[in-house]
Amino acid sequence: MEKQVDSAREPDVSGAMSRDEVASVITALEPDQLIAAKDRHHFPRRRLTRTETVLFWGLRIYLMFMVGVVMYQIWTGAR
Amino acid sequence: MKEQETAPEPQSGIASRAVLGDPAAGDLAALGSAVVITHEDIDRAHDREQVSATRARRGFRPRLRLFWLLIGPGILVMLGENDGPSMLSYAATGARFGVGFFLPFVVLTFLMACVVQEMTVRLGAATHRGHAELIFERFGPFWGWFSMVDLMVGNFLTLVTEFIAIRAGLGFFGVRPAVAVCSALLVLSVALMTHRYWTWERIILGAAIFNLAFVPVALLTHPNWGAVGRALVTWSPLPGGVTQETVLILLANIGATVTPWMLFFQQSAIADKGLTIRDIRMGRVDTALGAALATVAALATMLATAPLFLRHMTAANFEAAEFAQALQPMIGHWGAALFALGMFEAGMVAAITISTSSAYAFGEVARRPHSLNLPFREGKSFYLVLLVEAVAAAGLVLIPGIPLVYIVLVVNVIAVLAMPPALLFLYMLVNDREIMGELVSPTWANALALAVVTILVGAGLLFGVSVIAPNALAMLGGR
Repeated sequence: MEKQVDSAREPDVSGAMSRDEVASVITALEPDQLIAAKDRHHFPRRRLTRTETVLFWGLRIYLMFMVGVVMYQIWTGAR
Repeated sequence: MKEQETAPEPQSGIASRAVLGDPAAGDLAALGSAVVITHEDIDRAHDREQVSATRARRGFRPRLRLFWLLIGPGILVMLGENDGPSMLSYAATGARFGVGFFLPFVVLTFLMACVVQEMTVRLGAATHRGHAELIFERFGPFWGWFSMVDLMVGNFLTLVTEFIAIRAGLGFFGVRPAVAVCSALLVLSVALMTHRYWTWERIILGAAIFNLAFVPVALLTHPNWGAVGRALVTWSPLPGGVTQETVLILLANIGATVTPWMLFFQQSAIADKGLTIRDIRMGRVDTALGAALATVAALATMLATAPLFLRHMTAANFEAAEFAQALQPMIGHWGAALFALGMFEAGMVAAITISTSSAYAFGEVARRPHSLNLPFREGKSFYLVLLVEAVAAAGLVLIPGIPLVYIVLVVNVIAVLAMPPALLFLYMLVNDREIMGELVSPTWANALALAVVTILVGAGLLFGVSVIAPNALAMLGGR
Protein backbone atom coordinates (compact mmCIF):
# COMPACT_ATOMS: atom_id res chain seq x y z
CA MET A 1 0.00 0.00 0.00
CA GLU A 2 1.07 3.53 -0.58
CA LYS A 3 2.35 5.42 2.41
CA GLN A 4 2.34 9.15 2.89
CA VAL A 5 4.82 10.56 5.33
CA ASP A 6 5.08 14.21 6.25
CA SER A 7 8.79 14.87 6.57
CA ALA A 8 8.19 17.47 9.26
CA ARG A 9 6.49 14.86 11.43
CA GLU A 10 7.51 11.54 12.77
CA PRO A 11 8.61 8.65 10.55
CA ASP A 12 6.18 5.89 9.69
CA VAL A 13 7.10 2.68 11.50
CA SER A 14 4.21 0.57 10.27
CA GLY A 15 6.46 -1.12 7.71
CA ALA A 16 8.25 -2.87 10.53
CA MET A 17 4.99 -4.03 12.10
CA SER A 18 2.74 -6.97 11.44
CA ARG A 19 -0.79 -6.36 10.22
CA ASP A 20 -2.01 -7.47 13.66
CA GLU A 21 0.16 -4.94 15.41
CA VAL A 22 -0.97 -2.15 13.14
CA ALA A 23 -4.57 -3.18 13.72
CA SER A 24 -4.15 -3.21 17.48
CA VAL A 25 -2.64 0.28 17.44
CA ILE A 26 -5.47 1.62 15.33
CA THR A 27 -8.08 -0.16 17.42
CA ALA A 28 -6.70 1.20 20.67
CA LEU A 29 -6.75 4.80 19.49
CA GLU A 30 -9.63 6.95 18.37
CA PRO A 31 -9.33 7.79 14.66
CA ASP A 32 -8.40 11.41 15.26
CA GLN A 33 -5.75 10.44 17.81
CA LEU A 34 -3.44 9.07 15.13
CA ILE A 35 -0.64 11.48 14.30
CA ALA A 36 -1.33 11.00 10.60
CA ALA A 37 -4.95 12.00 11.10
CA LYS A 38 -3.94 15.08 13.08
CA ASP A 39 -1.51 16.05 10.31
CA ARG A 40 -4.18 15.88 7.67
CA HIS A 41 -7.16 17.28 9.47
CA HIS A 42 -7.11 20.86 10.68
CA PHE A 43 -9.99 22.77 12.15
CA PRO A 44 -11.09 25.60 9.86
CA ARG A 45 -10.53 29.21 10.90
CA ARG A 46 -13.58 30.75 12.55
CA ARG A 47 -14.81 34.24 11.80
CA LEU A 48 -14.83 36.52 14.79
CA THR A 49 -17.96 38.53 15.43
CA ARG A 50 -17.65 42.26 16.07
CA THR A 51 -18.19 41.71 19.81
CA GLU A 52 -15.50 39.05 19.93
CA THR A 53 -13.05 41.29 18.08
CA VAL A 54 -13.76 44.15 20.48
CA LEU A 55 -13.24 41.78 23.44
CA PHE A 56 -9.94 40.51 22.04
CA TRP A 57 -8.63 44.02 21.45
CA GLY A 58 -10.00 45.27 24.77
CA LEU A 59 -8.21 42.59 26.76
CA ARG A 60 -5.05 43.05 24.68
CA ILE A 61 -5.02 46.78 25.47
CA TYR A 62 -5.77 45.99 29.12
CA LEU A 63 -2.76 43.66 29.24
CA MET A 64 -0.42 46.16 27.54
CA PHE A 65 -1.54 48.92 29.88
CA MET A 66 -1.15 46.77 32.99
CA VAL A 67 2.31 45.61 31.95
CA GLY A 68 3.17 49.32 31.69
CA VAL A 69 1.87 49.76 35.25
CA VAL A 70 4.08 46.90 36.44
CA MET A 71 7.10 48.47 34.73
CA TYR A 72 6.28 51.80 36.36
CA GLN A 73 6.05 50.10 39.75
CA ILE A 74 9.41 48.40 39.25
CA TRP A 75 10.95 51.70 38.14
CA THR A 76 9.60 53.62 41.14
CA GLY A 77 10.57 50.75 43.45
CA ALA A 78 14.13 50.72 42.12
CA ARG A 79 14.61 54.47 42.66
CA MET B 1 1.52 -1.52 5.00
CA LYS B 2 3.07 -4.90 5.52
CA GLU B 3 0.66 -7.62 4.42
CA GLN B 4 0.59 -10.98 6.17
CA GLU B 5 -1.29 -13.87 4.69
CA THR B 6 -1.79 -15.54 8.05
CA ALA B 7 -2.97 -12.43 9.84
CA PRO B 8 -6.27 -13.12 11.58
CA GLU B 9 -9.10 -10.80 10.78
CA PRO B 10 -9.41 -8.02 13.35
CA GLN B 11 -12.49 -8.37 15.48
CA SER B 12 -14.27 -5.06 15.29
CA GLY B 13 -14.07 -1.27 15.40
CA ILE B 14 -13.60 1.58 13.02
CA ALA B 15 -9.85 1.12 13.04
CA SER B 16 -10.05 -2.55 12.15
CA ARG B 17 -12.32 -1.76 9.23
CA ALA B 18 -9.82 0.81 8.05
CA VAL B 19 -7.04 -1.75 7.96
CA LEU B 20 -9.16 -3.99 5.80
CA GLY B 21 -10.03 -1.16 3.51
CA ASP B 22 -13.67 -1.00 4.52
CA PRO B 23 -15.21 2.13 3.01
CA ALA B 24 -17.24 2.58 6.22
CA ALA B 25 -14.09 3.36 8.11
CA GLY B 26 -15.17 6.88 8.88
CA ASP B 27 -12.43 9.40 9.51
CA LEU B 28 -9.71 6.90 8.79
CA ALA B 29 -10.78 6.83 5.19
CA ALA B 30 -9.48 10.38 5.03
CA LEU B 31 -6.02 8.96 5.49
CA GLY B 32 -6.24 7.48 2.02
CA SER B 33 -5.27 3.92 1.40
CA ALA B 34 -2.24 4.16 3.65
CA VAL B 35 -2.25 3.94 7.42
CA VAL B 36 0.75 5.75 8.79
CA ILE B 37 1.77 4.62 12.27
CA THR B 38 4.38 6.49 14.26
CA HIS B 39 6.33 5.63 17.36
CA GLU B 40 4.16 8.06 19.29
CA ASP B 41 0.99 6.25 18.16
CA ILE B 42 2.36 2.90 19.34
CA ASP B 43 3.21 4.17 22.83
CA ARG B 44 -0.12 5.94 23.19
CA ALA B 45 -2.01 2.88 21.93
CA HIS B 46 -0.21 0.75 24.51
CA ASP B 47 -1.43 3.07 27.28
CA ARG B 48 -4.96 3.11 25.90
CA GLU B 49 -5.08 -0.69 25.69
CA GLN B 50 -4.39 -0.85 29.41
CA VAL B 51 -7.15 1.68 30.09
CA SER B 52 -9.65 -0.24 27.93
CA ALA B 53 -8.77 -3.59 29.50
CA THR B 54 -9.09 -2.16 33.00
CA ARG B 55 -12.34 -0.41 32.21
CA ALA B 56 -13.85 -3.67 30.96
CA ARG B 57 -13.36 -5.29 34.37
CA ARG B 58 -15.73 -4.77 37.28
CA GLY B 59 -14.95 -4.36 40.94
CA PHE B 60 -13.13 -2.05 43.28
CA ARG B 61 -9.57 -2.95 42.33
CA PRO B 62 -10.05 -2.41 38.59
CA ARG B 63 -11.66 0.95 39.38
CA LEU B 64 -8.73 1.85 41.55
CA ARG B 65 -6.36 0.80 38.78
CA LEU B 66 -8.32 2.86 36.27
CA PHE B 67 -7.96 5.83 38.57
CA TRP B 68 -4.21 5.19 38.77
CA LEU B 69 -3.93 4.91 34.99
CA LEU B 70 -5.87 8.09 34.24
CA ILE B 71 -4.69 10.53 36.90
CA GLY B 72 -1.69 12.70 36.18
CA PRO B 73 -2.17 15.93 34.22
CA GLY B 74 -4.50 17.48 36.83
CA ILE B 75 -2.33 16.67 39.83
CA LEU B 76 0.81 17.68 37.96
CA VAL B 77 -0.57 21.02 36.85
CA MET B 78 -1.90 21.92 40.29
CA LEU B 79 1.16 20.82 42.24
CA GLY B 80 3.36 22.21 39.49
CA GLU B 81 1.72 25.58 40.02
CA ASN B 82 2.67 25.40 43.69
CA ASP B 83 6.03 26.52 42.39
CA GLY B 84 8.88 28.68 43.65
CA PRO B 85 7.18 32.11 43.40
CA SER B 86 3.88 30.63 44.59
CA MET B 87 5.38 29.14 47.73
CA LEU B 88 7.23 32.42 48.24
CA SER B 89 3.91 34.27 47.99
CA TYR B 90 2.27 31.94 50.52
CA ALA B 91 5.26 32.17 52.85
CA ALA B 92 5.33 35.97 52.59
CA THR B 93 1.55 36.08 53.12
CA GLY B 94 1.75 33.94 56.27
CA ALA B 95 4.64 35.97 57.62
CA ARG B 96 3.04 39.34 56.82
CA PHE B 97 -0.64 38.71 57.56
CA GLY B 98 -0.64 35.68 59.85
CA VAL B 99 -3.77 33.53 60.10
CA GLY B 100 -6.70 35.45 58.63
CA PHE B 101 -8.24 36.66 55.37
CA PHE B 102 -5.76 35.01 53.04
CA LEU B 103 -6.49 31.43 54.17
CA PRO B 104 -10.02 31.33 52.69
CA PHE B 105 -8.85 33.54 49.83
CA VAL B 106 -6.32 30.91 48.77
CA VAL B 107 -9.04 28.24 48.91
CA LEU B 108 -11.10 30.46 46.59
CA THR B 109 -8.23 30.83 44.15
CA PHE B 110 -7.88 27.04 43.90
CA LEU B 111 -11.61 26.73 43.26
CA MET B 112 -11.09 29.24 40.44
CA ALA B 113 -8.22 27.09 39.14
CA CYS B 114 -10.53 24.04 39.18
CA VAL B 115 -13.15 25.85 37.09
CA VAL B 116 -10.56 26.92 34.53
CA GLN B 117 -8.64 23.66 34.32
CA GLU B 118 -11.81 21.57 33.97
CA MET B 119 -12.37 23.34 30.66
CA THR B 120 -8.95 22.24 29.41
CA VAL B 121 -9.78 18.65 30.37
CA ARG B 122 -12.87 18.69 28.15
CA LEU B 123 -11.08 20.52 25.37
CA GLY B 124 -8.09 18.14 25.35
CA ALA B 125 -10.21 14.98 25.56
CA ALA B 126 -12.66 16.11 22.89
CA THR B 127 -10.16 17.39 20.32
CA HIS B 128 -6.93 15.46 21.14
CA ARG B 129 -5.13 18.72 20.37
CA GLY B 130 -2.99 21.04 22.40
CA HIS B 131 -4.16 24.50 23.40
CA ALA B 132 -1.75 26.45 21.19
CA GLU B 133 -2.66 24.32 18.17
CA LEU B 134 -6.37 25.00 18.62
CA ILE B 135 -5.84 28.74 19.09
CA PHE B 136 -3.79 28.97 15.89
CA GLU B 137 -6.25 26.88 13.90
CA ARG B 138 -9.45 28.56 15.09
CA PHE B 139 -8.31 32.16 15.54
CA GLY B 140 -5.43 32.33 13.07
CA PRO B 141 -1.78 33.32 13.50
CA PHE B 142 -2.46 36.98 14.33
CA TRP B 143 -4.19 36.25 17.62
CA GLY B 144 -2.26 33.01 17.98
CA TRP B 145 1.08 34.80 18.16
CA PHE B 146 -0.23 37.20 20.79
CA SER B 147 -1.15 34.22 22.90
CA MET B 148 2.21 32.54 22.23
CA VAL B 149 4.19 35.64 23.19
CA ASP B 150 2.20 35.91 26.45
CA LEU B 151 2.93 32.28 27.16
CA MET B 152 6.60 32.27 26.24
CA VAL B 153 7.47 35.50 28.11
CA GLY B 154 5.51 34.39 31.17
CA ASN B 155 7.01 30.90 31.07
CA PHE B 156 10.55 32.15 30.74
CA LEU B 157 10.23 34.60 33.63
CA THR B 158 8.56 31.94 35.76
CA LEU B 159 11.26 29.46 34.86
CA VAL B 160 13.88 31.92 36.10
CA THR B 161 12.08 32.07 39.44
CA GLU B 162 11.98 28.27 39.64
CA PHE B 163 15.75 28.18 39.43
CA ILE B 164 15.89 30.92 42.08
CA ALA B 165 13.80 28.63 44.31
CA ILE B 166 16.05 25.67 43.53
CA ARG B 167 19.11 27.76 44.34
CA ALA B 168 17.53 29.10 47.53
CA GLY B 169 16.29 25.69 48.70
CA LEU B 170 19.62 23.94 48.20
CA GLY B 171 21.45 27.03 49.47
CA PHE B 172 20.08 26.26 52.92
CA PHE B 173 22.20 23.08 52.88
CA GLY B 174 25.28 24.98 51.77
CA VAL B 175 25.10 23.88 48.12
CA ARG B 176 26.74 26.46 45.85
CA PRO B 177 24.41 28.17 43.33
CA ALA B 178 26.17 26.78 40.25
CA VAL B 179 26.08 23.25 41.63
CA ALA B 180 22.40 23.59 42.62
CA VAL B 181 21.35 24.88 39.21
CA CYS B 182 23.41 22.32 37.27
CA SER B 183 22.01 19.49 39.42
CA ALA B 184 18.48 20.67 38.65
CA LEU B 185 19.24 20.69 34.92
CA LEU B 186 20.60 17.16 35.25
CA VAL B 187 17.41 15.97 37.01
CA LEU B 188 15.30 17.61 34.29
CA SER B 189 17.33 15.89 31.56
CA VAL B 190 17.18 12.48 33.25
CA ALA B 191 13.37 12.73 33.50
CA LEU B 192 13.26 13.37 29.75
CA MET B 193 15.46 10.40 28.93
CA THR B 194 12.56 8.03 29.57
CA HIS B 195 11.11 9.06 26.18
CA ARG B 196 7.79 7.85 27.46
CA TYR B 197 4.95 10.05 28.62
CA TRP B 198 3.71 7.49 31.16
CA THR B 199 7.11 7.01 32.85
CA TRP B 200 7.83 10.74 32.81
CA GLU B 201 4.44 11.46 34.37
CA ARG B 202 4.94 8.90 37.16
CA ILE B 203 8.41 10.24 37.98
CA ILE B 204 7.20 13.83 38.17
CA LEU B 205 4.09 12.80 40.14
CA GLY B 206 6.38 11.08 42.65
CA ALA B 207 8.45 14.24 42.98
CA ALA B 208 5.39 16.51 43.12
CA ILE B 209 3.97 14.72 46.17
CA PHE B 210 6.91 16.18 48.14
CA ASN B 211 5.06 19.50 47.82
CA LEU B 212 3.25 18.24 50.90
CA ALA B 213 6.54 18.55 52.83
CA PHE B 214 5.12 21.87 54.01
CA VAL B 215 2.41 20.02 55.99
CA PRO B 216 4.70 18.57 58.67
CA VAL B 217 6.49 21.93 58.82
CA ALA B 218 3.14 23.62 59.55
CA LEU B 219 2.35 21.01 62.21
CA LEU B 220 5.71 21.66 63.88
CA THR B 221 4.67 25.29 64.41
CA HIS B 222 1.61 24.10 66.43
CA PRO B 223 -1.01 26.28 64.68
CA ASN B 224 -3.98 27.60 66.62
CA TRP B 225 -6.63 25.46 64.90
CA GLY B 226 -9.46 27.52 66.39
CA ALA B 227 -8.07 30.65 64.74
CA VAL B 228 -7.60 28.76 61.50
CA GLY B 229 -11.24 27.61 61.55
CA ARG B 230 -12.48 31.12 62.37
CA ALA B 231 -10.40 32.64 59.56
CA LEU B 232 -11.73 30.13 57.02
CA VAL B 233 -15.32 30.96 57.99
CA THR B 234 -15.13 34.72 58.61
CA TRP B 235 -12.43 35.75 56.08
CA SER B 236 -10.78 37.85 58.77
CA PRO B 237 -8.74 39.42 60.17
CA LEU B 238 -6.96 41.43 57.46
CA PRO B 239 -4.30 43.34 59.40
CA GLY B 240 -3.65 46.80 57.95
CA GLY B 241 -6.76 46.79 55.73
CA VAL B 242 -6.58 47.29 51.97
CA THR B 243 -3.18 48.77 51.16
CA GLN B 244 -0.87 48.65 48.17
CA GLU B 245 0.99 45.79 49.82
CA THR B 246 -2.26 43.90 50.45
CA VAL B 247 -3.23 44.27 46.81
CA LEU B 248 0.20 43.07 45.66
CA ILE B 249 -0.05 40.00 47.90
CA LEU B 250 -3.62 39.45 46.71
CA LEU B 251 -2.47 39.47 43.11
CA ALA B 252 0.54 37.31 43.87
CA ASN B 253 -1.71 34.72 45.53
CA ILE B 254 -4.08 34.66 42.57
CA GLY B 255 -1.09 34.36 40.25
CA ALA B 256 0.10 31.49 42.40
CA THR B 257 -2.90 29.37 41.39
CA VAL B 258 -4.27 30.55 38.04
CA THR B 259 -1.75 31.11 35.24
CA PRO B 260 -1.65 30.75 31.44
CA TRP B 261 0.95 27.96 31.34
CA MET B 262 -1.46 25.71 33.23
CA LEU B 263 -4.00 25.90 30.41
CA PHE B 264 -1.43 24.99 27.78
CA PHE B 265 0.21 22.26 29.86
CA GLN B 266 -2.87 20.37 30.99
CA GLN B 267 -4.57 20.34 27.61
CA SER B 268 -1.39 19.22 25.84
CA ALA B 269 -0.66 16.61 28.51
CA ILE B 270 -4.19 15.22 28.17
CA ALA B 271 -3.73 14.95 24.41
CA ASP B 272 -0.28 13.36 24.89
CA LYS B 273 -1.63 10.92 27.47
CA GLY B 274 -4.38 10.04 25.00
CA LEU B 275 -7.42 10.73 27.18
CA THR B 276 -10.76 10.55 25.41
CA ILE B 277 -14.30 11.73 26.07
CA ARG B 278 -14.92 8.65 28.24
CA ASP B 279 -12.09 9.77 30.53
CA ILE B 280 -13.42 13.27 31.20
CA ARG B 281 -15.01 12.34 34.52
CA MET B 282 -11.72 10.91 35.78
CA GLY B 283 -9.94 13.96 34.37
CA ARG B 284 -12.16 16.11 36.57
CA VAL B 285 -11.39 13.93 39.60
CA ASP B 286 -7.69 14.23 38.76
CA THR B 287 -7.97 18.02 38.58
CA ALA B 288 -10.01 18.31 41.79
CA LEU B 289 -7.62 15.99 43.64
CA GLY B 290 -4.66 18.04 42.41
CA ALA B 291 -6.36 21.24 43.54
CA ALA B 292 -7.11 19.74 46.97
CA LEU B 293 -3.51 18.60 47.45
CA ALA B 294 -2.17 21.95 46.27
CA THR B 295 -4.56 23.82 48.58
CA VAL B 296 -3.36 21.78 51.56
CA ALA B 297 0.27 22.53 50.67
CA ALA B 298 -0.46 26.25 50.17
CA LEU B 299 -2.35 26.60 53.45
CA ALA B 300 0.38 24.64 55.23
CA THR B 301 3.01 27.06 53.91
CA MET B 302 1.04 30.03 55.19
CA LEU B 303 0.55 28.37 58.57
CA ALA B 304 4.23 27.42 58.70
CA THR B 305 5.35 31.05 58.33
CA ALA B 306 2.51 32.55 60.41
CA PRO B 307 4.75 32.54 63.53
CA LEU B 308 6.90 35.08 61.68
CA PHE B 309 3.86 37.40 61.57
CA LEU B 310 4.88 41.06 61.76
CA ARG B 311 8.56 40.24 61.36
CA HIS B 312 8.21 41.78 57.92
CA MET B 313 9.66 38.93 55.93
CA THR B 314 9.23 39.75 52.25
CA ALA B 315 10.25 38.34 48.91
CA ALA B 316 13.61 40.02 49.45
CA ASN B 317 14.28 37.43 52.12
CA PHE B 318 13.79 34.62 49.66
CA GLU B 319 17.13 34.62 47.91
CA ALA B 320 19.00 33.31 50.90
CA ALA B 321 16.19 30.96 51.95
CA GLU B 322 15.76 33.15 55.00
CA PHE B 323 12.25 31.89 55.67
CA ALA B 324 13.71 28.49 56.52
CA GLN B 325 16.46 30.09 58.58
CA ALA B 326 14.01 32.33 60.43
CA LEU B 327 11.80 29.37 61.25
CA GLN B 328 14.68 27.27 62.57
CA PRO B 329 14.49 28.50 66.21
CA MET B 330 10.80 27.51 66.30
CA ILE B 331 10.74 24.24 64.38
CA GLY B 332 14.31 23.03 64.69
CA HIS B 333 16.89 22.19 62.06
CA TRP B 334 14.97 19.27 60.56
CA GLY B 335 11.80 21.32 60.22
CA ALA B 336 13.70 24.15 58.57
CA ALA B 337 15.48 21.65 56.34
CA LEU B 338 12.11 20.23 55.29
CA PHE B 339 10.91 23.75 54.44
CA ALA B 340 14.02 24.34 52.31
CA LEU B 341 13.57 20.96 50.61
CA GLY B 342 9.96 21.90 49.90
CA MET B 343 11.17 25.07 48.17
CA PHE B 344 13.64 23.02 46.11
CA GLU B 345 10.91 20.55 45.13
CA ALA B 346 8.51 23.36 44.22
CA GLY B 347 11.08 24.88 41.88
CA MET B 348 12.20 21.54 40.44
CA VAL B 349 8.76 20.16 39.54
CA ALA B 350 7.61 23.50 38.13
CA ALA B 351 10.81 23.88 36.09
CA ILE B 352 10.01 20.56 34.43
CA THR B 353 6.30 21.16 33.84
CA ILE B 354 6.66 24.77 32.68
CA SER B 355 9.47 24.04 30.23
CA THR B 356 7.39 21.12 28.95
CA SER B 357 4.41 23.41 28.39
CA SER B 358 6.62 25.71 26.30
CA ALA B 359 7.92 22.79 24.27
CA TYR B 360 4.40 21.46 23.65
CA ALA B 361 3.21 24.91 22.52
CA PHE B 362 6.23 25.41 20.24
CA GLY B 363 5.72 22.00 18.62
CA GLU B 364 2.01 22.59 18.11
CA VAL B 365 2.53 25.97 16.48
CA ALA B 366 5.57 25.00 14.41
CA ARG B 367 3.86 21.72 13.50
CA ARG B 368 6.84 19.76 14.70
CA PRO B 369 6.55 16.48 16.62
CA HIS B 370 5.68 17.24 20.22
CA SER B 371 5.29 14.39 22.63
CA LEU B 372 7.08 12.95 25.61
CA ASN B 373 6.61 9.58 23.89
CA LEU B 374 9.11 10.54 21.19
CA PRO B 375 12.62 9.14 20.99
CA PHE B 376 15.13 12.00 20.93
CA ARG B 377 15.97 11.62 17.23
CA GLU B 378 12.29 12.01 16.28
CA GLY B 379 11.51 14.82 18.69
CA LYS B 380 14.72 16.86 18.51
CA SER B 381 12.97 20.24 18.30
CA PHE B 382 10.61 19.36 21.17
CA TYR B 383 13.39 18.31 23.52
CA LEU B 384 15.72 21.10 22.41
CA VAL B 385 13.16 23.85 23.08
CA LEU B 386 12.53 22.35 26.49
CA LEU B 387 16.21 22.11 27.37
CA VAL B 388 17.33 25.41 25.82
CA GLU B 389 14.65 27.34 27.71
CA ALA B 390 15.63 25.64 30.97
CA VAL B 391 19.35 26.22 30.41
CA ALA B 392 18.79 29.91 29.53
CA ALA B 393 16.69 30.49 32.65
CA ALA B 394 19.19 28.62 34.81
CA GLY B 395 22.06 30.63 33.33
CA LEU B 396 20.31 33.91 34.08
CA VAL B 397 20.03 33.00 37.74
CA LEU B 398 23.81 32.60 37.92
CA ILE B 399 24.65 36.02 36.46
CA PRO B 400 25.88 38.22 39.32
CA GLY B 401 23.89 41.41 39.90
CA ILE B 402 20.69 40.32 38.12
CA PRO B 403 17.71 41.76 40.09
CA LEU B 404 16.22 38.38 40.93
CA VAL B 405 13.96 39.78 43.62
CA TYR B 406 12.14 41.98 41.11
CA ILE B 407 11.66 39.04 38.79
CA VAL B 408 10.19 36.97 41.64
CA LEU B 409 7.82 39.78 42.60
CA VAL B 410 6.67 40.50 39.10
CA VAL B 411 6.15 36.96 37.85
CA ASN B 412 2.91 36.17 39.67
CA VAL B 413 1.52 39.63 38.97
CA ILE B 414 2.18 39.28 35.24
CA ALA B 415 0.57 35.83 35.32
CA VAL B 416 -2.65 37.33 36.70
CA LEU B 417 -2.63 40.16 34.17
CA ALA B 418 -2.07 37.76 31.24
CA MET B 419 -4.83 35.43 32.38
CA PRO B 420 -7.98 37.27 31.13
CA PRO B 421 -6.86 37.27 27.45
CA ALA B 422 -5.84 33.60 27.80
CA LEU B 423 -9.19 32.78 29.38
CA LEU B 424 -11.05 34.46 26.53
CA PHE B 425 -9.42 32.03 24.07
CA LEU B 426 -10.28 29.13 26.37
CA TYR B 427 -13.84 30.31 26.89
CA MET B 428 -14.47 30.66 23.17
CA LEU B 429 -12.87 27.31 22.33
CA VAL B 430 -14.80 25.42 24.97
CA ASN B 431 -18.04 26.96 23.71
CA ASP B 432 -17.18 26.24 20.08
CA ARG B 433 -19.73 23.64 18.99
CA GLU B 434 -17.79 22.93 15.79
CA ILE B 435 -14.91 21.40 17.76
CA MET B 436 -16.63 20.45 21.02
CA GLY B 437 -19.94 19.10 19.77
CA GLU B 438 -22.15 18.24 22.72
CA LEU B 439 -19.30 18.90 25.14
CA VAL B 440 -19.63 22.68 25.00
CA SER B 441 -19.79 24.33 28.40
CA PRO B 442 -23.15 24.32 30.12
CA THR B 443 -24.53 27.65 31.31
CA TRP B 444 -23.40 27.17 34.91
CA ALA B 445 -19.82 26.47 33.78
CA ASN B 446 -19.87 29.61 31.63
CA ALA B 447 -21.19 31.64 34.56
CA LEU B 448 -18.35 30.36 36.76
CA ALA B 449 -15.79 31.07 34.03
CA LEU B 450 -17.07 34.62 33.62
CA ALA B 451 -16.94 35.08 37.40
CA VAL B 452 -13.28 34.02 37.34
CA VAL B 453 -12.52 36.49 34.53
CA THR B 454 -14.32 39.25 36.43
CA ILE B 455 -12.33 38.55 39.60
CA LEU B 456 -9.05 38.51 37.63
CA VAL B 457 -9.77 41.74 35.77
CA GLY B 458 -11.02 43.34 39.01
CA ALA B 459 -7.88 42.32 40.88
CA GLY B 460 -5.73 43.63 38.02
CA LEU B 461 -7.52 46.98 37.99
CA LEU B 462 -7.25 47.21 41.79
CA PHE B 463 -3.52 46.67 41.40
CA GLY B 464 -3.39 49.40 38.75
CA VAL B 465 -5.20 51.82 41.06
CA SER B 466 -2.88 50.92 43.95
CA VAL B 467 0.17 51.83 41.83
CA ILE B 468 -1.14 54.86 39.94
CA ALA B 469 -3.37 56.39 42.61
CA PRO B 470 -2.45 55.01 46.03
CA ASN B 471 -4.55 57.72 47.71
CA ALA B 472 -7.68 56.45 46.01
CA LEU B 473 -6.89 52.99 47.32
CA ALA B 474 -6.52 54.38 50.85
CA MET B 475 -10.00 55.90 50.52
CA LEU B 476 -11.32 52.58 49.25
CA GLY B 477 -9.81 50.86 52.28
CA GLY B 478 -11.41 53.41 54.59
CA ARG B 479 -8.11 54.89 55.68
